[in-house]
Amino acid sequence: MKEANKHSEMQKFGMVIDLDKCTGCGACMVACMAENNVPFQEDETDPLLSVKWMRVYKMTNGKPYPETDICYLPRPCQHCEGQHEGHSPCVSVCPATATDYDMATGIVSQIYTRCFGCRYCMAACPYHVRLFNWYDPIWPPGMEKMLNPDISVRMRGIVEKCSFCFHRYQLAKDQAYVEGRREIEEHEYQTACTQACPADAIVFGDLNNPSHLVHQLAQPDLKHHGKPKNPKAFRLLERLGTNPKIYYMSSKKWVRLAGDNYTREELNKKRT
Amino acid sequence: MSTSDDQSKESQEVAATEKTDLEPIEPGQSSVGHVVLFFIVGFVASLVLGWVIFPKLLYSTKPQPFNYSHAIHNELVDEGCESCHYFREDGSFSGIPSLESCVECHEEMQGDSEDEAIFMEEYVAKDREIPWHVYSRQPDCVFFSHAAHVKMGKMDCVTCHGHIGESDQLPTYKENRISTYSIDIWGRNISGIKRNSWDRMKMNDCANCHRENGVNQRSVQTRKGGCFVCHN
Amino acid sequence: MKIARRSFLSFLIGGAAGTALTPLPWKLTDDLSIWSQNWPWTPVPPKGAANQVNSVCSLCPGGCGITVRKIDERAVKIEGMDGYPGNDGSLCTLCLAGLQLLYGPSRVQAPMKRVGKRGEGRWQKISWEQALEEVTAKLSDLRAADAPETLVALLGSDRGTVPQLFNRFLTAYGSPNFFRTPSIQDTYELALFLMHGTRSMASFDIENSDFVLSFGSGMIDGWGSSVRMFKAKSKLRDANATVCQIETRLSNTAAKSDKWVSINPGTEAALALGLAHVIIKEARYNQDFITNYTNGFNKFQQLVLEQYSPSNVTMVTGIDPETITSLARSFASARHPLAICGRGQGATPGSLNEFIAVHALNALVGNINQKGGIWAMPEPDYIEWPDVPMDAVAANGMQKGRMDGAGSQNFPHSRYLLNRLPDMIHSGEATIGALMVIGSNPVHTLPDTPKVQTALDKIPYIVSLSSFMDETTQMADIILPNHTNFERYQDVPAPEGLPQPIIGLSQPIVEPQFNTRHAGDIIIQLAQSLGGNVAEALAWGDYETCLQETLGDKWDMLSEQGFWVDESFNIGAWGEAFETDSGKFEFTNAAINRLPLFNPINLDGSSSEYPLVLLPYDSMRISAGHIGNPAFLMKTIEDTVLKGNSGFVEINPQTAASLGLAQGAKAIISTPTGSAEVRVHHFDGIMPGVIAMPRGLGRTAFDKYVAHKGINVNGLIGAVEDPASGLDAAWGTRASLTKA
Repeated sequence: MKEANKHSEMQKFGMVIDLDKCTGCGACMVACMAENNVPFQEDETDPLLSVKWMRVYKMTNGKPYPETDICYLPRPCQHCEGQHEGHSPCVSVCPATATDYDMATGIVSQIYTRCFGCRYCMAACPYHVRLFNWYDPIWPPGMEKMLNPDISVRMRGIVEKCSFCFHRYQLAKDQAYVEGRREIEEHEYQTACTQACPADAIVFGDLNNPSHLVHQLAQPDLKHHGKPKNPKAFRLLERLGTNPKIYYMSSKKWVRLAGDNYTREELNKKRT
Repeated sequence: MSTSDDQSKESQEVAATEKTDLEPIEPGQSSVGHVVLFFIVGFVASLVLGWVIFPKLLYSTKPQPFNYSHAIHNELVDEGCESCHYFREDGSFSGIPSLESCVECHEEMQGDSEDEAIFMEEYVAKDREIPWHVYSRQPDCVFFSHAAHVKMGKMDCVTCHGHIGESDQLPTYKENRISTYSIDIWGRNISGIKRNSWDRMKMNDCANCHRENGVNQRSVQTRKGGCFVCHN
Repeated sequence: MKIARRSFLSFLIGGAAGTALTPLPWKLTDDLSIWSQNWPWTPVPPKGAANQVNSVCSLCPGGCGITVRKIDERAVKIEGMDGYPGNDGSLCTLCLAGLQLLYGPSRVQAPMKRVGKRGEGRWQKISWEQALEEVTAKLSDLRAADAPETLVALLGSDRGTVPQLFNRFLTAYGSPNFFRTPSIQDTYELALFLMHGTRSMASFDIENSDFVLSFGSGMIDGWGSSVRMFKAKSKLRDANATVCQIETRLSNTAAKSDKWVSINPGTEAALALGLAHVIIKEARYNQDFITNYTNGFNKFQQLVLEQYSPSNVTMVTGIDPETITSLARSFASARHPLAICGRGQGATPGSLNEFIAVHALNALVGNINQKGGIWAMPEPDYIEWPDVPMDAVAANGMQKGRMDGAGSQNFPHSRYLLNRLPDMIHSGEATIGALMVIGSNPVHTLPDTPKVQTALDKIPYIVSLSSFMDETTQMADIILPNHTNFERYQDVPAPEGLPQPIIGLSQPIVEPQFNTRHAGDIIIQLAQSLGGNVAEALAWGDYETCLQETLGDKWDMLSEQGFWVDESFNIGAWGEAFETDSGKFEFTNAAINRLPLFNPINLDGSSSEYPLVLLPYDSMRISAGHIGNPAFLMKTIEDTVLKGNSGFVEINPQTAASLGLAQGAKAIISTPTGSAEVRVHHFDGIMPGVIAMPRGLGRTAFDKYVAHKGINVNGLIGAVEDPASGLDAAWGTRASLTKA
């Protein structure tokens, strides 16, 4: 078993999101909620209380009419690799071993039953992808029929976040196993948001696998923590060294510059 | 070397003096006897409580809807356990068979046992699923892939489930009053000691086996098994 | 025996020591932790066998193919059907959240009868027998009183077997008053009828175009079949095609276009004619098409050359002449240019002149029925039922003509003018004896909702066949709940704008969850109990029989694959495409003797009282149609659109400053139609002096997740009747905004 396991050890799942194509429609958010049994409340307008694994941010270039421009930025968990392998900000601080970095897939896991809700990880995460479950998950009578059995419903008082639809990986693996295969194909494991995106803006796959589209689009520089070689591509807050596995692509310079927290002086220098 | 020897000698001496200090117990002082007696009473009582009464209180016995003989069925089917506990095409495992699969053979009454009568009258006739108590039921956060273990790992059902497939009687189902899971998860031995691989089904049992077999030992946190292997 | 303190302590210590040697503490800790991680009120979804069912979604006119993932009998996820024409594997937000509608609290669970006052929300559950009996009695009375034409049916669409069953029922009953929910389809159909001479549906070969000129159409805000448009938009980007959006407000479509041209609100037709001016003046038009296949070009040429020079158009539109000229040149020099119109999602039909002006651009570049162009698709014709048997009452009723004036002398070619009804009801011009509503929600979606509501109040008997407790159903006297589209068979023909003749089949993905019936069955049963020629007209045993019979040999393919495509279809070549009197494309139409002029649609109110202009806008995150947002969609709304229960109005920071309104400040918005309290959101992407609000909020029905949140913008905007068509041409309204 040891021997056979080695093949899959170097997978590194990641995403490339083409912001030129993203329309901000929100299909990724809804698909994610439906797939992952995300709870909902009567009032969801407070972003601090509203649990959304995938959130689409609206950015503007700050210029007056009619020079204004909008760009939408879908933001799932960034599944940071960190400076050394797997030392993502949240994993490093979790006192309960409730969140973990899996070197086999590159996915940052969250074990809800293990979490005791200290929210240290939320403070550590620079991307606000982690959300605290303030309320009991209540579905109106009858609506619990739509719950997906492949992922557990989270109780109140814990932190939850995007898992790259890890249960889909598990199901794809199962299917491969009964068919006598150990490895899964690119199309067999896709996240719900990728599948739903009507603009085909989201691409998902193994960044380590040159035959996967994500690798070809992002062109990760493996010698430099996966920094994108594609000049159109960027990662959020690149200079923090979190080395996220979500790559964004935009043909617009202002959008690429908005991906990091440059100072005014730095921005002025970059723009010229 | 010499220093450590000296130290140990010293400590032995200290222990000896302490002993002599405590030694003179005057026979007429019953309070000391009481103290020892109460210590023993408390000690024994708690042992009895912990080993005998607590397990009885912790578990409630729940009757299964009717008895089921794996042995009889095993003789009649061609593909062993997988005849009823089969894999679906999508790789998922069917687990406890649905009434529909039972009815494939039990459209008519098979044999004249009392259990068969209950089954036919209460469930087949009324088209109700049988509310079995499941010995291996795990919390919702647990993902167990039968395909990975049986198909890829070539493991035998017995390794985890024991010899239930050869049994005539279903074991008594005992439900943990606190956690609501079966006694078989912790194991029927309250001490948690396991003699066979199938005696317990706790997370550590999974983790130990994964460690021994080198299954995804790529966690950054634990330097052992990754959490997302068995959870979702 | 007296127990000394020491002894007791010793007992405790002994107990503790003993306990430590038992499994009790460890076991208890373990069990308690498991207990605390698995609260009994946290639902545990049952596991089971996964299976998939294909169907077609009809929650909106998009008509997307869906694949529903089921676990045993539970539907757990709706996904796009791979390979379905148009949406191919993807879906929009509403459909993705569709299961919240199927299993949600806004379902009408059984036939119900109003017991309180109208709109009070007090209902009594009744049996289907009683419900049908009561409706039958009412309809019999109307017929006996020789007023069958006062029965009105309002549906979401007029295509497919269910709407046609209702139409057939009405005809046999004796009423010509069948309505469908208004949209840009009305105006497009009318424009095509006048210019092509055929009753056809406007379809767009967008994917193959290389220059799309959109006059405010929200290509990625839900215009047309939304998912197909999203996909098409991405394809255009991959193919390096150009999309140019002409719009007052920086919508998502404008932001994601290659070029956004900001324009004074409501002046799109002038720009279209200005572009025509440049194209004609520089002789950049398609000579072959213009010379051989069109009629009236000279008149058109004369008009645009005289009146719509770039400098003239600049004064109207605010776009500088250079931009107009260069836009016209790039449009005309593209290989497959395409001009489209209909603002936002196309909920308001719009001005006929504007559509004719934009369509004239397509004619100039000769892209009609061409690759990458606009296609006039024939309406689906697979429904071949025998003639409706008529009796004297029916014939008499049908003779009286439509109550909305469609088809009359004033509006000879319009088909449905629902927007005219509220005023006509109020003035007594139209009398409705009974109204049947299904798949439509006029109380929320029609302009000037307060007026619509009071008009509905004057209708003595309202029958709703809605699956959901929507705003209109709340006004009903009796509800005969239809299955949802996830529980029923139904043909879903021709997704909006798709240049492919297809029929989709909606199939039940789960058993009916409640005591509901198929609307097709309800109308057949009503016909049967009315008896006579009405029963004869709808003589099918049940709806499924009718559907299978109607679809004939297409049924097998439909039930297997989920859709049927007419493989033999070819769009008509220029020589045979036009059925006008001249047999050619008409720039000006003799029937109405009308040229595509720019006639500004005059908004109500004075500019001194209402200095601002309010525009409604559409968002994919807010369902603005007859169905309200499910809970998941509410989660996607930004807190600059809705915060708590307050809706926001977008305003340019410059305008806001002049009004003294800070970001987030409360304000009162007033229009000639109504007023409401809103909050202010500063947005650079909106023209100074213009404000905007989203459609679809301010629901008063459905469930607690959507009701009473934000403001229904339709309550602030009145209808403006297009003198050419009678359709609603309002694109906004005058408004004022004051500090609250």
